[in-house]
Amino acid sequence: MTQHAVNVEAATARPAVTIRGLRKSFDGRQVLGGIDLDVPGGRIVSIIGQSGGGKTTLMRCVNLLEQPDDGVIEVNGEAICAGGAVTCKDLARLRQRVGMVFQRFNLFPHLTAVENVVLAQMHAAGIGEREAVERAVRLLTRVGLAHRATAYPERMSGGEQQRVAIARALALGPTVLLFDEPTSALDPESTGEVLRVMRELAADGMTMILVTHELPFAREVSDWVVFIDGGKIIEQGAAADVLDRPREARTRAYVAKYAASG
Amino acid sequence: MSPSDVFTGFLHVPWGDYAGNIGWGLARTLAYTVASFLGAAVLGLLLALMRLNRLRLVRLPAALYTEVFKNVPLLAIIFVTYFGLPSVGIKLSVFAAGVLSLVLFYAAYLSEIFRAAIAGIHSGQNEAAQALGLGRGTTFGHVVLPQALRLALPGTNTMFVDLLKSTSLLVTISAAELMTQAQLIASETFRALEVYLVIAAIYFAVCYPVSQSLLWLERTIQAGVPLSRGRRRRLRLARTLLAGETP
Ligand SMILES: Nc1ncnc2c1ncn2[C@@H]1O[C@H](COP(=O)(O)OP(=O)(O)O)[C@@H](O)[C@H]1O
Ligand SMILES: [Mg+2]
Repeated sequence: MTQHAVNVEAATARPAVTIRGLRKSFDGRQVLGGIDLDVPGGRIVSIIGQSGGGKTTLMRCVNLLEQPDDGVIEVNGEAICAGGAVTCKDLARLRQRVGMVFQRFNLFPHLTAVENVVLAQMHAAGIGEREAVERAVRLLTRVGLAHRATAYPERMSGGEQQRVAIARALALGPTVLLFDEPTSALDPESTGEVLRVMRELAADGMTMILVTHELPFAREVSDWVVFIDGGKIIEQGAAADVLDRPREARTRAYVAKYAASG
Repeated sequence: MSPSDVFTGFLHVPWGDYAGNIGWGLARTLAYTVASFLGAAVLGLLLALMRLNRLRLVRLPAALYTEVFKNVPLLAIIFVTYFGLPSVGIKLSVFAAGVLSLVLFYAAYLSEIFRAAIAGIHSGQNEAAQALGLGRGTTFGHVVLPQALRLALPGTNTMFVDLLKSTSLLVTISAAELMTQAQLIASETFRALEVYLVIAAIYFAVCYPVSQSLLWLERTIQAGVPLSRGRRRRLRLARTLLAGETP
């Protein structure tokens, strides 16, 4: 297993997220056992691995939805936690810089699409109503949902809901986006819509950390792939290396399984 | 007494002389209803939040309260607050005692409805709000509460009408509301059947439109019609922008 978290080309990019010695246990059971990871700005890092491996917990530590027990996480060069203590002074600002997209979308069902995108702009970022609505409309247009802007989530397909969720996260101007299995709850057509939006974000240079079982997509968009099992990084490297020529037996078994199931 | 006697009996009651009593009684009934409902809603919400607290020390008293007041008759609460409390030096006015009794009793039921509604909101909602940097207060006010209100609306509506009808129990402390007026008119006219039938009809005439309007409110919200001015304004702005006009 390599300790070189950054490939040669990416080493020149400024790190957006740096993780050192990250540990987390739930009820005495270790879920993350010392994770070291670098995510350079403008790059896409995919995290793959069996369920229960700690992928979601890792992501949730990056925006401090979960408080680590030990280790250091830096976002844009600023330590947000160290040695089990939260050092980030402004959680709201951290979460504006680190957006998150969930597997189950988690849209606010009592609000229309455009209001979902407006809410945190006004109440977390202090953006004025008019500007917030304008930006929401722009972002919904960008994810191809201008025609659904005033629809409620329950009237939308899964793919549409997830694209609203992406617009909602983008509205706060994040420097890093976390995607936790964004297409796992979607049918193939919806998956295609969401992947198309993510592909465009990638082309625009958005820094992304992506948990996914969509190996062909991970292969296509990621600069770096990390295989996690039992709370530890088993293998990491350039996407082509890890996915096409995995060195570890566990990685090979996982890749074989998900390549076969599509 | 045949049905036709009942009919002519109505004519023997000088309704015109009692219009003032009935009007005043109706006003008192509505005052008791509104004051008690507001109080019960506030206390009920507080109890619901206490019962959802992490700390057992906070949950326990609220749970105890709810169990006690759900399992004691309203009439007993009225008698304790009005006839009982003076013996320990707490002398409440009829209005205060009446409202207090109704608040104590209905807060227990409303807290159950509110608690279920708040607990019924998916944890993903809180997560999403947190991940967007919304604070605890904003999350509760803009994400949890609006959804909980929708879930709580049907049960709350039932309780509102139930409370309105229960104000009639305040006749036992001569609260001057509708039922007390009815008793007075009946004793003066010796026409109990006719008078109580008319009073019952008045209760129906108030409760039925109220419950129908609340039902309409439920359906309107369910249909996604935005009720707040802010929401309507934002949606209008969005539609204008989408239509490509400069608003
Ligand atoms: N809040 C929590 N409390 C207790 N255990 C948890 C909690 N969150 C996750 N876990 C446990 O941690 C392990 C890793 O979970 P998770 O990070 O969700 O893995 P993955 O996303 O790779 O499937 C699992 O065994 C899960 O049951
Ligand atoms: Mg997961």
